[in-house]
Amino acid sequence: MNLRVFLLCTGLVVTHLLLHVALGLGKAAPDLAIVALLLASRALGSAGGAATGFVLGLLEDAFSVGSFGANVFAMSVTGAVAARTRELFVGDSIPFLAVFLVLGKWGRDLLVWVVSDPAGRVPFNDAALMEGPLLALYAAGAGLLARLLFARGPLSR
Amino acid sequence: MAGRPRGTGEDRKRDFLLTAGVILGSLIVLNLPPGSKRSARLFLRETVLSPLLGINGAITRMRERALDFDVLRAQMDSVTGLVAAARTLAEENRRLREALALKERERHRVRAVTVIRTGTPGAESVFLLDAGSEDGVRAFNAVATEAGLLGQVQEVFSGRAVAFDWSHRDFRASAMTPDGRAHGLVEAVRGGFREQDRLILRGTAYLSDLSPGEELVTSGRGGTFPRGIRIGWITGPAETSAGWSRSYHVDPAVYPGAATHALVYLSRVAEPATVEPDSAASGGQTDPR
Repeated sequence: MNLRVFLLCTGLVVTHLLLHVALGLGKAAPDLAIVALLLASRALGSAGGAATGFVLGLLEDAFSVGSFGANVFAMSVTGAVAARTRELFVGDSIPFLAVFLVLGKWGRDLLVWVVSDPAGRVPFNDAALMEGPLLALYAAGAGLLARLLFARGPLSR
Repeated sequence: MAGRPRGTGEDRKRDFLLTAGVILGSLIVLNLPPGSKRSARLFLRETVLSPLLGINGAITRMRERALDFDVLRAQMDSVTGLVAAARTLAEENRRLREALALKERERHRVRAVTVIRTGTPGAESVFLLDAGSEDGVRAFNAVATEAGLLGQVQEVFSGRAVAFDWSHRDFRASAMTPDGRAHGLVEAVRGGFREQDRLILRGTAYLSDLSPGEELVTSGRGGTFPRGIRIGWITGPAETSAGWSRSYHVDPAVYPGAATHALVYLSRVAEPATVEPDSAASGGQTDPR
């Protein structure tokens, strides 16, 4: 991982924690942790991506009374899978990145839903088909903006 | 777009094993016993996330202080009027209880706290309180605002406690109308979206016909919640159970997202109730009511 990607991902994680934990904005703020994980995973490889996801998932789960560990598992798997995409797709074009971020965020939310306590989760249609795509688009938009503003040029250089 | 293979066969094998190990570790975390999960959550909150929670608490207190002075003055005037009216009532009540040989009503010490909410996934119905075990807070204490019942304490640590609000799936409160005409159990029902979550009163007698707008308060049955805390108002009938009982939808008195300041009902006391102010906001002084 080069310094630019490291700084971008660290900045995204810190901003995510400030928006979600310090300011308590909830879904009004984009999920920048998953954006950081997806970007970092493509530079780190599957083991590094899974480990990064594990740590970020633990931070997310610190306030989860009902389903502790759901984010740890979902972020670890997402990090590992996101890293594998580098062997399938090369390039950091904006359209590719947009699709990558949307699918990554949506997939991670689906995984969280699958392993969460069934008694406490929202109905599948609302989580996966209504809220999920919107949150994924929001996160992807924020991720692309951060990428364009703070890390111009190819990330994998 | 063509892919690019990463490393040699040996590297790939090592990468695969490490990845499998991390994912296995995440599955172990997911299936930890409740006590270990509680310890892990506490460790994370008290180390990495502690400064962020401090910022959250400070912002919440600043928001409280920014309330309009006129609104606070109006609330203060209303409370002063109520207290003045209740003074003679309390004396009359005491004499009547003596005449009827009834026991003194239970009173609770009350601790003022700041409500800290985080916006992380999985914490939707959960909030933190800036008071803990050394302040007398215990698991299952009731948490209420000036408007009514907010929720219940679940986990207590040193200096902090975790509580859930009425929208949590495990929330239950025994309820009644203020005149005691109807009793039942209030619980949360999920709406299509979280904003549509509401309360439902179950198990009221079939013949107890409640009209929309009737107030519901905690009945004190079971001893978890003190008697008389407002829960909400009946909005309409929900379902009837084979001629035996009725259920009603309830409009909650408190919307959890709007709560920034609350009271925790601590242990029962014999002397008149007191309010202990939020230590973070006032330096820990005790202010008898």
